[in-house]
Amino acid sequence: MYSPSELGASLGRARYGCALAVAIAGGLFAAWSPGTRAEWDFGATAGALYDNNLTRAQNPSDKRAAGAATAGASATYFAPLTGGDSVSGTLFGDGQLFDRFSGLSNLAGGASAAYRHKFGLGAEAPWISTVATVYYDGYRDTLRTSTFLNLRAEIGKRFSEQFDASAAVYYERRYNDHGEPVVPGISGKVFDLSGQGVDLRAGYAPGSEWYFSMGAGVRRGDVESTSKPGLAIFLASSAIAEDPVWGDPNLYAYRLRGTTWSGALTASYALSDKASVDLVYRYGLTRAAQGLEYITNAALVTFVYKP
Amino acid sequence: MLLALLTLAARAQNAEIAVAVTDELGKPVRDAVVVAVPADGTLRAPAKPREEIVDQVDKEFVPKVQVVPAGTRITFPNRDSVRHQVYSFSPAKRFELPLYTGTPEAVVFDKPGVVVLGCNIHDWMVGYIYVSESPYFAKTDAAGRAVLADLPPHEYVVRVWHPQLAVAEEATRKNVEASRAHRSDIVFTLPLKPEVKIRRAPAAGQRRTY
Repeated sequence: MYSPSELGASLGRARYGCALAVAIAGGLFAAWSPGTRAEWDFGATAGALYDNNLTRAQNPSDKRAAGAATAGASATYFAPLTGGDSVSGTLFGDGQLFDRFSGLSNLAGGASAAYRHKFGLGAEAPWISTVATVYYDGYRDTLRTSTFLNLRAEIGKRFSEQFDASAAVYYERRYNDHGEPVVPGISGKVFDLSGQGVDLRAGYAPGSEWYFSMGAGVRRGDVESTSKPGLAIFLASSAIAEDPVWGDPNLYAYRLRGTTWSGALTASYALSDKASVDLVYRYGLTRAAQGLEYITNAALVTFVYKP
Repeated sequence: MLLALLTLAARAQNAEIAVAVTDELGKPVRDAVVVAVPADGTLRAPAKPREEIVDQVDKEFVPKVQVVPAGTRITFPNRDSVRHQVYSFSPAKRFELPLYTGTPEAVVFDKPGVVVLGCNIHDWMVGYIYVSESPYFAKTDAAGRAVLADLPPHEYVVRVWHPQLAVAEEATRKNVEASRAHRSDIVFTLPLKPEVKIRRAPAAGQRRTY
């Protein structure tokens, strides 16, 4: 249940997120001109995920694993401005329903705006894009309820019908003020995070049905890790809060400064031109001060449909 | 009246070549282009340039394979509610139709060869125009069959092209004697590559990073 103060803060963040989303949508509308023929793309997803270290904990005894059902929907407005330039705006909503740790279940909604430029004619012309995404993610347990901002610049190229690759840099900010301090003088806003990173991705399509891709990335910035109290994590942390999601009063959430190396493998099978099933495996290794490190493994299966 | 009767009579005396095209597994091959060229190289020029259409429907080229004689004017009507930008880098015809709706100016395809079409907005769109040096051509149907009708009696070199053909078109050549008022049946078994095109199907995005 929300306390009045939590509800107020939550609504405040929601209003902030909505305002940004409207601003993005307004910007796109402003880019529209009577001569512009745009297209709407709608999409829906449904799937499941499993994460073996939801607590982002170092010690095996602190790790918690669980699965979740996922679902989402999106509507994208795409408008080519010239042959090489286009803008798009997306409104989306999605949710995750966890089988254990129901406090992690969440509903998110937001918007993104993108500009894309192609350097020349043809499918193999290199391209750049910039994307700004804002969304509000409300968790059943409000500690994690946040507004997210993600700014991303990407460059990519298709080398043939089968091979393509891209590289991106991004900045992300998670606005959150739900955590109450448990140690005097130390913030409780463990999910008030920022970071920036680099992603690389390469894809291969052996035919018209399968598409495989692999990605690697490194991110520097704030992370959250939940564990039992200890000197190392206490010294490394910049915020500490109780984390009631896990049902264990001995577990606390800590905000750390760390570097995360990540990798992802994706296999996507096209059921038709409008539907596919994606299997994704994600690995992450995060290292922080005081010799702290944790590893996450996650698997996702997602059905994607775009009518 | 007399001229019409004479024309009909002459046509009745002409030959036909019926072609069946299969892949190496015996499955019918659709959209294979069959061209017959007189073996002595003498080609009759078409009476007047033809006009053909390659539509864009649901963000695909329709038909996917179009075969025309050299000199044909082709228009590219956009039947979608979104804009397209059609182009080709093929040596037989390099052209670009800047972002458009409706029907732009026709493009003349005057050089024999295969012209691969693309859309700069929708990268998965691909189409083929086979520009034939010969007026005698046809395209196979879903059963892999095509008929070259109304051929003057002659010896012909018949060859087949398909977007997935794994060998050079010249390697498919067959000599056929097309006799007066006679139908010749020939079968082509083509080695085909798997279709490789940019996938149109959607893929899930990864929004949540932490």
